[in-house]
Amino acid sequence: MSDDALARAATRQTLTATTFVEIVDTLVSDFDVIEVLTLLTSRSVDLLDAAAAGILLADSAGQLRVVGASNEQIQLLELFQVQNDQGPCLDCFHSGQVVLHSNLDTISPWPLFAAECTKAGFASVCAVPLRLRAHTLGCLNMFMCEPGGLTDTDVALSQALADVASIAIIQDQATRDAAIREGHLQHALNSRIAIEQAKGMIAEHNRVDMDEAFSRLRAYARNTNRGLTDVAKALVAGTTDVSAVSATRRSAPPPPPHA
Amino acid sequence: MNADRFSRLAMAFARETARSSTARLCTACVDVLSVTGAGITIMGGDQAGPICVSDPNVAALEDLQYTIGQGPCRDAFHTGVWVHAPRLDMDTSIRWPSFVAMARESGIRAVFAYPLIAANSKIGVLALYQSVEGDLTPAQHDDSIALAEILTETVLSLQDDAPPGTLAPGLDDAVQYRAEIYQASGMIAIQLAIPAAEALMRIRAYAFANDQTVAETAAQIVARRLRLPNDHQSETEQ
Repeated sequence: MSDDALARAATRQTLTATTFVEIVDTLVSDFDVIEVLTLLTSRSVDLLDAAAAGILLADSAGQLRVVGASNEQIQLLELFQVQNDQGPCLDCFHSGQVVLHSNLDTISPWPLFAAECTKAGFASVCAVPLRLRAHTLGCLNMFMCEPGGLTDTDVALSQALADVASIAIIQDQATRDAAIREGHLQHALNSRIAIEQAKGMIAEHNRVDMDEAFSRLRAYARNTNRGLTDVAKALVAGTTDVSAVSATRRSAPPPPPHA
Repeated sequence: MNADRFSRLAMAFARETARSSTARLCTACVDVLSVTGAGITIMGGDQAGPICVSDPNVAALEDLQYTIGQGPCRDAFHTGVWVHAPRLDMDTSIRWPSFVAMARESGIRAVFAYPLIAANSKIGVLALYQSVEGDLTPAQHDDSIALAEILTETVLSLQDDAPPGTLAPGLDDAVQYRAEIYQASGMIAIQLAIPAAEALMRIRAYAFANDQTVAETAAQIVARRLRLPNDHQSETEQ
């Protein structure tokens, strides 16, 4: 190896290590998954002699969506694949395997896509799956100006980068899912507590028992076309005055006691 | 069987058990972990309610922690990491004086609290009580962490079935259990013209100063046998 080649190899090794550290570092807490994916596309370009890179992820309905691209042109090419239902990324997503097409000038399995790529100045493409165990989440697409595609080493490296990014995506989905479910629980808990507090407020203000207080709370909510929880929370927060509720006449027979 | 598959099965099993009765979750914890007692609490903000306790002794200790806002459960919840108190001695007494005194009186010698956490969200606490001093074995500790994870999923999946804004039946017990306390805080809020959250603090302070549980004080307020003193008045029994 020439000194020049050695120096290049050393730089690449450092950049590879730095990239992994960067990606793992973004995973520590409160990370933005789009940021991780953007980092993945730009580092793929830096490390792999690719001219450009893009990422597609499947949504909950299994439809692929473009979520990141190293430039605007790639954004369009990725979109083109999805719209025309053809291209390396779709094949990669469906098979879960690496798809490499080393010369887009030759007969391509995706004639429309190949023509668009050639027009944009790309000669070869490679798609690696973003996957967790048997589950494919999407894929990372790389575009090269020269024919020949990527070497085996480069493919292995891009797969390793894609694997790390997959963990980020799964982690992000789990966190969101948990936060939504936890939010529902907290909301329900706080609503129930607010209703009991509101009953106490009405009972004290009007010198009535808790059942009667609850009837008045319900009647007020009905008459004003508001939710029971809304009214209860407004009373507790002081944004609705307890005397307003107390002035309400019951329009319906009392509902069954609540507590 | 791999760990992933095992935990999926365990969670499915816990969900089904909880649907028939959340009360069984604590006895299951006591059996599985071989401890004296267990309590599972869910928390909404600063409010907490037990969804099950293994025995009245545990209920009283959980109530006390709620009354004084201090104890291993509170600490585990607020820090998000488990709290081990293998000996309720002088050291732990400095940390939670009232709790340690009452726990010792009721024959409890060690307490272990595990937060129920889903991703970054805290939803409650699993507390384990022992009538003998000493640490949990490494296996008991690992199992407790696994159980806390399973219980978190159990609680969240129970709530998944509930209409938005309402609590699932098994979880509603947590609020129902302290319903009088919330009602009393609403009454005190009107009596003293203060926010409900502050009213609850007043009730807590009164209960603690008068050697009562919050529930006892609240019951007197709801029965209109007790009005809390304003800042410048002395308390009056009606």
